[in-house]
Amino acid sequence: MSGLDVEGLEAVRGSFRLGPVDLAVPDGSATALLGRSGAGKTTLLRTLAGFLPSARGRIRLGPTSLDRLPPERRGFGFVPPNLGLFPHQRVRENVAYPLRLRGVRDATVEAARWIDRFQLRELADRFPSQLSSGQQQRVAMARALASGPRALLWDEPLAALDVESRDVLLRLVRALLVSDHLPLLLVTHDPATALALADRIVVLERGRVRFDGRPELLAEVPLDRFLARFLGFENLLSLAEIDAGSDSVLASDLRAAAGPGGVVIPPGALRWDRSASGGTRARVSALRWNPGGWVVVVDEGPWTFQIRAGPETPGVRVGDPVRLSLDAAQLKPLSDRAEEGAA
Amino acid sequence: MSRGTVVARVIAGVLSASLIALFVLPLVALVAYTGWDGILGAASNGGFRTALEFTLLASGIAVGLGLLTGVPLGYVLARYRFPGRSVVESLVLVPVVIPHLVVGIALLLLFAPGNPVGGWVASLGIPVFEAIWGVVLVMLYVGASYVVLTSQLAFRSVDDDVLESARSLGATPAEAFLTVTLPSAARGILTGALLMWARGVSEVGGFIILAYAVYPSPPWNGPVTNPASVWIYDYYGIDPGLAVGAAALLVLVALGLFVVIRAVDRTGLFTALRGWWS
Repeated sequence: MSGLDVEGLEAVRGSFRLGPVDLAVPDGSATALLGRSGAGKTTLLRTLAGFLPSARGRIRLGPTSLDRLPPERRGFGFVPPNLGLFPHQRVRENVAYPLRLRGVRDATVEAARWIDRFQLRELADRFPSQLSSGQQQRVAMARALASGPRALLWDEPLAALDVESRDVLLRLVRALLVSDHLPLLLVTHDPATALALADRIVVLERGRVRFDGRPELLAEVPLDRFLARFLGFENLLSLAEIDAGSDSVLASDLRAAAGPGGVVIPPGALRWDRSASGGTRARVSALRWNPGGWVVVVDEGPWTFQIRAGPETPGVRVGDPVRLSLDAAQLKPLSDRAEEGAA
Repeated sequence: MSRGTVVARVIAGVLSASLIALFVLPLVALVAYTGWDGILGAASNGGFRTALEFTLLASGIAVGLGLLTGVPLGYVLARYRFPGRSVVESLVLVPVVIPHLVVGIALLLLFAPGNPVGGWVASLGIPVFEAIWGVVLVMLYVGASYVVLTSQLAFRSVDDDVLESARSLGATPAEAFLTVTLPSAARGILTGALLMWARGVSEVGGFIILAYAVYPSPPWNGPVTNPASVWIYDYYGIDPGLAVGAAALLVLVALGLFVVIRAVDRTGLFTALRGWWS
């Protein structure tokens, strides 16, 4: 096949065991690698890049087997978490570095092309220490692409960017993947980046692939705390937290719907109003505004819920009593896998 | 700002200024005492000029050897974990903590012609006692630790991500070392070389035992002389005015070298050299 193809990859790093991992990233597509800290995302990327030895398995890039190749011959455009810019070289020297290594005759001209493409021309004579985090990330990406890679491995490539810069880069990267037919495997903690860029999501858990599929299929996967947070669910209760509020009239519904890891209360499942009866008594502890509308933070016994209240100013103030009710049919159980896998 | 903060800052300022004054005022006193006449007098003294030329030659060789041996050791200590690493790190500090008069005696005993090591070195035609190689050995012993320590710190500060980037961009391990690791650590290494040079030139104790007088032998083909510091020590009892002038001149040479290297570093020349191939 074309693209990046990983089959039964295993690696050992101290007491951590990665794999077996199977994944395929076709040319011109992006796969986002998700997982909690310690799930093995960076280990997988560094094993693919050749910086960690694999214990078993096969890595192919197009028709080429990479298993025995050193990092410099694998053909990956690798961007590590700290970007790895050379502090003693200016931006244009950083970008020209892989071109000179390859003996490209017009390395400076070719580097300038990448510098322009990533809108770095005005920064070309600066050293990395004179750049903002977002500018450094653009330099790292330009340099990785200038190396003429056959695939891209990026570890948190857009972590320090503001939303607008991130969106500009996402569009640029997306276009590059298509025009240059490159497969991209990226580690990210940012749902917006993953969902905007990735054709496929791979979730790692304790070194193994827990989910591998199109982003929209994530909604059908049994949730754990990590996935629930990733998908934007704000109200999560563990079994212990449910039991701590056993006096509440909501407790029995929550307990009944809970899985081994607790319960997720989706936005539509929790309703509040100012009526005198029905549901359970609670109190407004904070009001927060964000671009998606108002959020009313409500305390009920030991629980704190965040309830989306829409764009209109909610007719309550901090300290006001409200009544809370629950649509039990919408509750989702939490599996306990992430608890076991926490690292 | 609270009154307590003001008082604390004043105390800290006075204490810091006291230390800086201690560093600077003796040198000012030295130069003020001898004046330009004394410095020029020392500069025109043939005996001291010869001693100074010899010292610059010997210290140049010593720093070269210190870099040749100290930089690799600093790299190994910074990048590799191996059994006995902490022992090696402690051994690197030994020259810093033992009295340098003792260094001279120990080196003399080791390189005495009757000793196997001394006999072997003598058989190679490398005289140590009262010769330039004795001075170089002492300078290397008392100063190379600084090269090792600063190189180690400099190499340790080179991020793994930087090296891995170089490799994934197509550099072999050797290319990554020469084009990324070494240039990134260059400033630290340069600092170590300066410290080593300064320490070697200011040495007295080891020279007194091993090379009080220095007789001609390659690469020193000049007349019989002394290391500059020993020359000053010697003349302090004979002609204190000349000795103080020579001391002031030695200080100016050392400070001049320091200032020139710092200034060149600021011009970006080293940066240009570090990135010469790109």
